[in-house]
Amino acid sequence: MPNALITGASRGLGRAAARALAERGWSLIVDARRAADLTGAMRGLADVTAVPGDVTDPGHRARLAEAVGRAGRLDVLVNNASRLGPSPQPALRDYPLDELGRVYDTNVVAPLALIQLLGAPLAAAAGAIVNVSSDAATEAYPGWGGYGSAKAALDQLTAVLAAEQPSLRWYAFDPGDMRTDMHQQAFPGEDISGRPEPETVVPALLRLLGERPPSGRYRVSDLAVPAVAP
Amino acid sequence: MRPAASRPPEERGLARDGVRLLAATPDGIVHARFGDLPRFLSAGDLLVVNTSATVAAAVDGLRGDGRPVLVHFSSPLEEGTPGEAAAGAGSLEEGPPCEAAGGSMAGGAAAGGGPPGEAVWLVELREDAAATGPVTDAVPGETVTLPAGASLTLLRRYPGPTATRIWVAAVAAGGAVSAFLAWHGRPIRYSYAGDPWPLPAYQTVFARTPGSAEMPSAGRPFTAGLVTDLVAAGVVIAPVTLHAGVASLEAGEPPLPERFSVPEPTAQLVNLTRAAGRRVVAVGTTCTRALESAAGQGGAVRGRRGWTDLVLGAGHPARVVTGLVTGWHDPEASHLALLEAVAGPALVHAAYQEAERAGYLWHEFGDSCLLLPPAGDHRL
Repeated sequence: MPNALITGASRGLGRAAARALAERGWSLIVDARRAADLTGAMRGLADVTAVPGDVTDPGHRARLAEAVGRAGRLDVLVNNASRLGPSPQPALRDYPLDELGRVYDTNVVAPLALIQLLGAPLAAAAGAIVNVSSDAATEAYPGWGGYGSAKAALDQLTAVLAAEQPSLRWYAFDPGDMRTDMHQQAFPGEDISGRPEPETVVPALLRLLGERPPSGRYRVSDLAVPAVAP
Repeated sequence: MRPAASRPPEERGLARDGVRLLAATPDGIVHARFGDLPRFLSAGDLLVVNTSATVAAAVDGLRGDGRPVLVHFSSPLEEGTPGEAAAGAGSLEEGPPCEAAGGSMAGGAAAGGGPPGEAVWLVELREDAAATGPVTDAVPGETVTLPAGASLTLLRRYPGPTATRIWVAAVAAGGAVSAFLAWHGRPIRYSYAGDPWPLPAYQTVFARTPGSAEMPSAGRPFTAGLVTDLVAAGVVIAPVTLHAGVASLEAGEPPLPERFSVPEPTAQLVNLTRAAGRRVVAVGTTCTRALESAAGQGGAVRGRRGWTDLVLGAGHPARVVTGLVTGWHDPEASHLALLEAVAGPALVHAAYQEAERAGYLWHEFGDSCLLLPPAGDHRL
């Protein structure tokens, strides 16, 4: 069965994706900053290697690469771990630049660092890379300038990597609004119970990994399975 | 006139099977498109195709004195490679597995005397990014620095001390050389191919097992649709695998030994086809070499895998293959001798003359040729 590395697997989309793939027999390496949360999120799953740590830490990334080396192959990398920035999110005119740097470190630099580190085994497996993006990467929402511009940068990294390394599949995956802890941080004090659960996005991600369409940016709606066959 | 195709047909507004096909048959020479191939074959004829996939075998490096160099990785050197000390005589023994996906190019185990943790490969050093010429002043012991902290050390010339361009090299890539090439390499190309093209341009529709340093290009014009047409016409298609080495050899140099596999079911189909009086048409010189390497004295083919250093020519005519699909390549090379070993010098000469007259496009992105010598008389 294929192997995947999923970052930020203790909550939200990362957790839902990891559980769905593990339940389908995939062999997983997962990380998250909080070890206890990660262990809890992966409870009951077979063949999951948990490597707690922060993707912005080079030492942690090296440990992830060691885990991949022990697994012997890597078919899929899901760069899902993301940093929203301050909550509530400040307007760009007031955005603390040190915070902006941290947002870029997690959302742009760390994904590329993992790609550089794991490119060889991914290429050997003709693998796929999923960089989790956001509608804030393409829409100009007030207050989303830090996170949104970082995800826009991640989208462009994905597009250029697809041109430079065409033997792999490169996806920027836009899951849209979901009822997650991060979404709650973005809207502190608001009721987000109307947003869909992250599990509802997983079928689109599974379709991306199963069908391997051409590299590109995909929204969930692009990958919706038609209710009735055409 | 031998105009080179500097761009893939898809970049020239053509489908892959839209390239020209010169069919040289007992009835004469016919100009067609590759998609017309079913017209020239009969139900029960057997097409043998190569499932080897092209790897990104060219990597930039720096020589000890800082000069840039381009390294072409030809194949791993293993026990069983002809010319390798451990090989003994038997290039056709049941050798190391050729088709174990990933394993064939893994290069994890050191063979040929390299230190543990290093893989030993056959490599060629070229002068620059356009691979205009071979490096001629390299010496044993020289180290070439490769990307991402990798390096290689030239151990000795191959196959022997008087060889000029192929080296046995110990490669330290921090992991499998196949993975290193997949990430840091790019397809081998020569100066006639104007622009660099991505690796998918160098894969045939049959490519399954990575291992060829250069594309088995005769299969390039096939498409899934054409394969369907062939199957519907009753033409049988069977796979072999032969990982092509670097093809930059000069006139007079014998082709390098290559890893191949002829599966037993393919061997049985070949024998059945011959017994039924139908044609065995090899798609490319790679498939020809594989099939003829698996043939016994009487022409019966058995399932076989390993390394082959077979060189077909006037002294060793084809015993199994009775038709050939091939691209247009420089007729000075041993390539021509192989074509003649299948189709006879008269038919090959007529085909080349007509292709040059009619302006067929040369090289791996160019036009195609089907050689169907008269049955039973094909080597006259």
